Amino acid sequence: MAGMTGFSREVARRIFAEELKSSNYSFRDGEDQHQYAPSYLLTPTGAKCNRVFLVGTLIEKDDIGGDTEYWRGRVVDPTGSILIYAGQYQPEAAQILAGLETPCFVAVVGKPNLYQTDDGNIIISLRAESISQANESTRNQWILDTARRTLERLSDLSQVRVPPPGEDFTTADSMPAEASSSAAMDAERAMQHYHVDIEHFRQMTIRALSALKSDLSGGAFAEEARPVNAAPVWPEAEPAGKEDSPASSRKGGNKKAASPGWPASDDVEEIETINIKKKS
Amino acid sequence: MKEMVDQIRVRLRDQKIDVSNEDIESRLKKLIVDFRVPEGEARRSVLNYFLKEHGIMPVARASSEKVKIEDIKEAGRWVDLEIKVLDLWEPASGSISQTGLVGDGTGSLKFVKWTKSELPDLELGKSYILRRVVTDEFQGRFSVKLNKTSQIEPLETDVEARSAGRASAEPVRVVEINEPGRWVDLEVKVAQLWETNSESISQSGLVGDETGTIKFVKWAKAELPNLEEGKSYRLSNLVTDEFQGRFSVKLNKTSQIQPLDCDIAIGSVASEFSGALVDLQKGSGLIKRCPVCKRSLAKGVCTEHGKVEGTYDLRIKAVLDDGRRVQDVLINRETTERLVDITLEQAKQMAMEALDHEVVRSMIEGKMMGRYYTVTGPRVDRYLLVESINEMPAVSAAQVEDLLTSLEVA
Repeated sequence: MAGMTGFSREVARRIFAEELKSSNYSFRDGEDQHQYAPSYLLTPTGAKCNRVFLVGTLIEKDDIGGDTEYWRGRVVDPTGSILIYAGQYQPEAAQILAGLETPCFVAVVGKPNLYQTDDGNIIISLRAESISQANESTRNQWILDTARRTLERLSDLSQVRVPPPGEDFTTADSMPAEASSSAAMDAERAMQHYHVDIEHFRQMTIRALSALKSDLSGGAFAEEARPVNAAPVWPEAEPAGKEDSPASSRKGGNKKAASPGWPASDDVEEIETINIKKKS
Repeated sequence: MKEMVDQIRVRLRDQKIDVSNEDIESRLKKLIVDFRVPEGEARRSVLNYFLKEHGIMPVARASSEKVKIEDIKEAGRWVDLEIKVLDLWEPASGSISQTGLVGDGTGSLKFVKWTKSELPDLELGKSYILRRVVTDEFQGRFSVKLNKTSQIEPLETDVEARSAGRASAEPVRVVEINEPGRWVDLEVKVAQLWETNSESISQSGLVGDETGTIKFVKWAKAELPNLEEGKSYRLSNLVTDEFQGRFSVKLNKTSQIQPLDCDIAIGSVASEFSGALVDLQKGSGLIKRCPVCKRSLAKGVCTEHGKVEGTYDLRIKAVLDDGRRVQDVLINRETTERLVDITLEQAKQMAMEALDHEVVRSMIEGKMMGRYYTVTGPRVDRYLLVESINEMPAVSAAQVEDLLTSLEVA
């Protein structure tokens, strides 16, 4: 029922960067979809998010603004990275981001934003409502928290029954928008749009947890190594700092270093954008 | 399978349609074997499929059957019901034209009439036969949906429905109310009465018992006597409702009010919430309160007592979020002082030096934002009044191991 009314606060969803980045479906909610209706990003596992809470490592920050400051940061979690933005309309967040020294742990509350480039690529970023420096303990709690929420969504997804083809007229009146619970409804919608490979996201979650596990058992070494190793994940560290569209500069960027802190990073080639033509 | 094929063929032949057994069988198999569709559903679907192929709308033959409410045990069935309208609720969405409670001799359930159905409105207390409504289920509770293919026919005779509703009401404590659509009896004291903003509501406010308080709404149509603030009552046959995670009870025509001689003490049971602190709201930090009513002042003005000389206080208004729900929390001065390691005097000093109260809030924000906390305390309306607050313990390798194991097994 949330989202139907403007005055209830939207829950901040927990989504790993890899999943967030592979989202390409956003919509406005409500009957008439007017311009003030809240907008949502639906992620592949069916998180319908108007707000996201993310804790990770800030590895880059740049002022990409012209006359006024406009800050961009890149935050990584065990599965990938996401861009965050803060400008004149988020003065507190912008001020904090400006003052942070990379690398450091950050907690970000932000609104997901979907941007489509001229060549059809989709870039997901977060417009930060708040940014604060975090510690490792909070970062670990977030990974566990996000793994749990992700698994809940995967479980909802596995309940979705894909209707057999050719039977649509019998179900036309009980439209999908009227499924019995909102989580089930979001799962159904995600399944229809993304044709989700549940196993893929289960593996992603396992990778995130395995990374956390090795961090926790690695003790002092991991403790020391992570901030240092976080940087080589993005060796090309944004030379053209003023460039607004990260798509062009990132495309095909691959990771050279497989750091022990982020074991996930060596098994996939990092592709920053998703081509929607492939998706639909 | 053979039997089902024959049944479908016979039904098709009634409509002068000839389809080969093979065609029917292959379609049935696809549904039942490949897509695990239950047999009944598959048969109906295949029949409708061929009818549609031959240009016959299946509506006229939609196989809804007349049932009693207690017979409704699965979602997605098409049924006819003879019912009485027991209650009408405010629809939460424009896509719903009417919602409420209907009952027959065997029970009651929620109904939803979609706006798109363009069906006439049901009247409270009247009896109807609802044709071709579809059953639905949410968390083990059933409801019926009225859509475009449904029909509503008024009944001359009165459907007996009251008894069932009353029989299922159970005496509960306020704290036990945790789901909508339940019939309950409460023994409570009226804590507050509010201005009503709708003609359909005769009274609303807060009632409470030893375990907590809950909002109540008494419908004008219920034609019940008025409740008085501070008095204790036994309220029977109320129905629970939920809006954005907060519960309320509604008094309708079938409800009863009985004054009690004893005085019920309103108390509260501590509840607990764990989550990340995602917002530190305006009005946190160093604030001024009205010396008369203790309300916080906005620009030196009390909403009740006008411009007053305020007294300083320190508090935190924040939002915790566990990724599924949000919880507003209020933290008083003592706890705030301990939590962020600052006294009221120091906070005043800080604000004075910066010539800005906001610095205190920013300082608290820097210390708390984004961290995971567990809080306990009584819930009052949308706030949890924090009695204890602790940072959540660090994640242990064992916790991660446990989750990983369960994942790899699944």
